[in-house]
Amino acid sequence: MSTIPGIVAVNTFREAVRDRVLYNLIFFALLMMGAAVLVGGVSIGIERDVIVNLGLTAVSVFGIVMAIFIGVGLVHKEIEKRTLYSLLAKPVQRWQFLVGKFGGLVLTLAVNTALMTVGLAAALFYVTRKFERSDATIVVAIYFILLELALITSLTLLFSCFTTPMLSTLYTLGIYIAGVFAPNIRDIGIVTTSPAAKWMATAVYYVLPNFHNFNVMAAAAHQETIPFALIWQNTLYAALYIAVVLLAASAIFSNRDLK
Amino acid sequence: MSGGNNSRVVRIALTVVPVLLFFVAFLQQRIDVSAAPLQNQKPELVLRSGPMLKKLGLGYDPLLADIYWTRAVQYFGERVGVRGTTFELLGPLLDITTTLDPQLMVAYRFGAIFLAEPAPAGAGRPDLAVDLVKKGIAANPEQWRLYGDLGLIYSIHLKNYQKAAEAYLEGSKNPNAQIYMKAMAATVAQKGDSLETSKLIWGEVYGSTQDPLIKKRAMQHLESLDAEIDLKGLNKSSESYWAKFGRYPATIQELRDAGLVQGKLEDPEGYPYAMGAYGVPELNPQSPIVMEPDQKLPTQNH
Repeated sequence: MSTIPGIVAVNTFREAVRDRVLYNLIFFALLMMGAAVLVGGVSIGIERDVIVNLGLTAVSVFGIVMAIFIGVGLVHKEIEKRTLYSLLAKPVQRWQFLVGKFGGLVLTLAVNTALMTVGLAAALFYVTRKFERSDATIVVAIYFILLELALITSLTLLFSCFTTPMLSTLYTLGIYIAGVFAPNIRDIGIVTTSPAAKWMATAVYYVLPNFHNFNVMAAAAHQETIPFALIWQNTLYAALYIAVVLLAASAIFSNRDLK
Repeated sequence: MSGGNNSRVVRIALTVVPVLLFFVAFLQQRIDVSAAPLQNQKPELVLRSGPMLKKLGLGYDPLLADIYWTRAVQYFGERVGVRGTTFELLGPLLDITTTLDPQLMVAYRFGAIFLAEPAPAGAGRPDLAVDLVKKGIAANPEQWRLYGDLGLIYSIHLKNYQKAAEAYLEGSKNPNAQIYMKAMAATVAQKGDSLETSKLIWGEVYGSTQDPLIKKRAMQHLESLDAEIDLKGLNKSSESYWAKFGRYPATIQELRDAGLVQGKLEDPEGYPYAMGAYGVPELNPQSPIVMEPDQKLPTQNH
């Protein structure tokens, strides 16, 4: 039983590769090559910063677009093509199907991100002609982006369990944007004099997925050390939040009338 | 798949999700602590060009202006009053804000006050404040109050009473301008450096703004000016005491006993004035009123 999500995950990954999802890497490669060549002429003194910022932003944006637009179709496509019914006729539980789909897309995103990391490293080496120990911060920043993408994937799956792909996209984007601005929501609670607003802002701050946690791009660009505590805490945070979202998604999907 | 399995999943979710959310909130508190050193990075303003942002705004520049305005206020609010702080991004933030929305009057007025105010209350850049207000006047010539703000910067911060009087006079030519603008032009030209003139200017700022930060700052100035006037009066009495008794009074009560002062000798916040060394009166140490170094009396009379 426990291998079923794994089988679904591998099939999801294969399907994504068949759908030429990884073609986005061509655009990423072109972007990084163009930036590497142009940056020397336009960003005097901050060439490394520009390459790191641009590269990490592209890894994040490409990943988010993939996570959302592929994620919202994962369940919907299986229902539309009626392949879900034949799958569920076998000894496969709905939660296993969901977890498998989640794992498959995260695997796709991980492979995609790993390849983009290679491209970023190549562009960085072209510009700086060396790697430094402090460049390890970039790897941490990419790891955080991957955690962020996994969390977004779980959210798209949650929404796609009960609504259309279009609305799932909107809901996920809305939650993502709110999560990026989570510290500003907390600050509203600090500034306001209304106890109700303060309580509300604090509650929203803790309940929203805090995507701001995963953004260490500026630290990576400035070669700052990321505290080890932050790495394990963010890992645990993402794992817990993903567990929450997938449990909720499983509960909803298990009760959904698929007829 | 059986219905029993489905309801079990729901039961598990209902039990486990709240517990996990509790741990998520707990973990977030730990992350806030761990990430704090990374938040202490010097703030950056990557895009400093207002015109470029206006283009990138794709027509949403008023909204962008609001966002930049909010950021400017937050930036200022986080730093104001903190010893050793600087406000190097306040000027660029307000410049971008007013480029994106040239009619955002509150940004000009905020800049006029807090770009010009000396640290730690402001950026200590009256030159930038003048530029910003002049930009506002160019975009909104009908806004006569901006001339008043320009007069304030020239008068209070740059001590250029001629230019201050010109600004007030120019503003008074607007048919909607209040009559005090003309009176202010004459007052500043005649006795720009007097405390009474400063009180008039800050009184006008206090009365004409809705911005709580500006209002608070204007009130602080009014109170410190009142205290300065009181302390100067007390210092004169202290000199009279010296002339009469050959020594300085050790307390304010001694001045009162000698019949040189009377009434409640308190600052505008209600704290009694204190007598310092060499008969120099000063604010009560408990008083929240803050006086600028140039407002304080010399520490020794003789």
